[in-house]
Amino acid sequence: MNKVLIANRGEIAVRIIRACRELGIETVAVYSDVDRQALHVRYADEAYLLGPAPSRESYLRADKIIAIAKKSGAQAIHPGYGFLAERADFAQACIDEGLIFIGPKPSAIAAMGDKAIARATVTKAGVKVVPGTEGEGSLSNESLLRISGEIGFPLLIKATAGGGGKGMREVKNIEEMPGLIDSARREAEASFGDGNVYLEKLVLGARHIEFQILADQHGNVIHLGERECSLQRRHQKLLEESPSPFIGDDTDLRESMGSVAVKAAQAVDYVNAGTIEFLVDKDKNYYFLEMNTRLQVEHPITEMVTGIDIVKEQIRIARGRHLSYTQKDVHQNGAAIECRINAEDPYNSYLPSTGLISHSILPTGPGIRVDTGVYPGFEISSFYDPLISKLVSWGESRGQAILRMRRALEEYRIVGVRTNIPFHQRMMDSHRFMGGQFDTRFVEERFSMDDADDSKTTNMEIAAVIATLMTHQHLEHSAQIVRRGERDTSNWKWVGRWERMHR
Amino acid sequence: MLYITSVNGKDFSVEILDDHHVKVDDQIFEVDFMSIANQPVFSLIISGKSFEAYVYPGEDDYQVLLQGRSYSVKVEDEREKRLQKAGGSTVSQSSEYHLKSPMPGMVVSLPVAEGQPVTKGQVLVILESMKMQNELKSPRDGTLARVRVKPGDNVEQRQPLLSVV
Repeated sequence: MNKVLIANRGEIAVRIIRACRELGIETVAVYSDVDRQALHVRYADEAYLLGPAPSRESYLRADKIIAIAKKSGAQAIHPGYGFLAERADFAQACIDEGLIFIGPKPSAIAAMGDKAIARATVTKAGVKVVPGTEGEGSLSNESLLRISGEIGFPLLIKATAGGGGKGMREVKNIEEMPGLIDSARREAEASFGDGNVYLEKLVLGARHIEFQILADQHGNVIHLGERECSLQRRHQKLLEESPSPFIGDDTDLRESMGSVAVKAAQAVDYVNAGTIEFLVDKDKNYYFLEMNTRLQVEHPITEMVTGIDIVKEQIRIARGRHLSYTQKDVHQNGAAIECRINAEDPYNSYLPSTGLISHSILPTGPGIRVDTGVYPGFEISSFYDPLISKLVSWGESRGQAILRMRRALEEYRIVGVRTNIPFHQRMMDSHRFMGGQFDTRFVEERFSMDDADDSKTTNMEIAAVIATLMTHQHLEHSAQIVRRGERDTSNWKWVGRWERMHR
Repeated sequence: MLYITSVNGKDFSVEILDDHHVKVDDQIFEVDFMSIANQPVFSLIISGKSFEAYVYPGEDDYQVLLQGRSYSVKVEDEREKRLQKAGGSTVSQSSEYHLKSPMPGMVVSLPVAEGQPVTKGQVLVILESMKMQNELKSPRDGTLARVRVKPGDNVEQRQPLLSVV
């Protein structure tokens, strides 16, 4: 294998290109019309246009991607995450065309990709799952309504083909069911082209803890420890850390969960990198949630604490070699935190923000890693997800990692779009976060961007001086350029028009 | 020049004495103030202390982002403020709310029909952008009017969608 096509965009495409570069492998990028200037296109050795901006016409065009791989002479395709990463048919098509798919076998993707089949499979292997509709594939609205009573409320409606919180709805009582089933199906249909949904009991006070696993083609399966992913909003992860402060020094729990993760992977004959997600309740009971049969967004924190380059291992596995590590080689050293920097405004209901990045200063320095696909001059469009970058800090202890993250967030400057950096800054100051006391509902239910709830000194006076000086400069500036009588109509008329225009 | 500047509702009197001196309430500070590379990022050195902030214009105020905090700041020159007080109220402020799209995207649904009453916080539009469905809510009670879009429409940022009158 000496040339790899990366069937993705953004920071993850850049991440994979980096691993290939270090291994001396040539890289082939693919891109949509709006990504001509994207970093992955600029960094790759070769680049080919896929089509218009919408994913359906570009990054989801499996046929075109395979054709480009053959044309460019790439022997393998790395799918990254999202897009085609968890599509068994795409993995199969690669194999049929004589290409190496850097990921698991199509059968494992299919088994884990249908959440219902996944639950049945791991249950058979003796792994506990969250109570829910473990049955097969598609259920009608009527049977969902009937079963909902048996599971009990609150519960979750989840997309069978889903991920990332899309097509997911929380239901408090039976009255809400019909409407929420419809909207979940609609969103699932739009996101995955599959409107099937299933039900799952909502575990209260739950933590979301996942285990990274690596499996080679020779039957060796190891885990690289856990990642704590409980800080989410609308089921989208915002901040992850490793190790989990909840597991802490309970090595028995870590070992037990790790070996169950390995068992779950073995149940589907898993090969390559994957992640087993668990829900853990406050009494340390844990349940299998799902398996992500791909590289995860948050893989860097595991890389930081274990020192293992997961993407390089993926390529090594795809080449048919043995894993570079055995389970006893894997140690967690220190602590790492990842903040997902999204183009969304935490002061305005986290609405996505689009625009041209006009200015950006990335934090650097000891213990800091930034994975990003954008740069000043690049436009954040509404076609793809709002992830601008992943800011990762490492420290000898969790406390050190938090202090570093705080420092890095303060250094980070991005102008042109709104970002959720203030959200992360607020989180780093939160006593609950520092104490490791949070669950999956923390962000939505007990976290606020308002100033009222904390005692940290504020700088109202400084804000006043800055805004006043800015206004003053503006006034002086406009006084110089707009002189009286310069408009051909009266200012009153002008104001009237201006107001009407903005209705 | 004297300004009355309110930060999150608290008034400060800020007087610009010259290019390098301001008086805040009764204290005089030495300042050096500039925008960084023509960006909405401003650097202030005040009595030796260095601060940097983003300043974004809002509807009738500025949002100042400073050390991970957001401040809502209104700046009025002192004369303007006095006139307003004397006049009793602000300039004829239109009470209609015009909802503009905060981002490019596609209209998924409009749960309320034109002419129907709406309450504060009620969802007016569901807009899909960046693969997420976003709910745009009404900031006030009123009646839905002038609906300019329909489900399936692609909209640009700041495109007027509808009004609440």
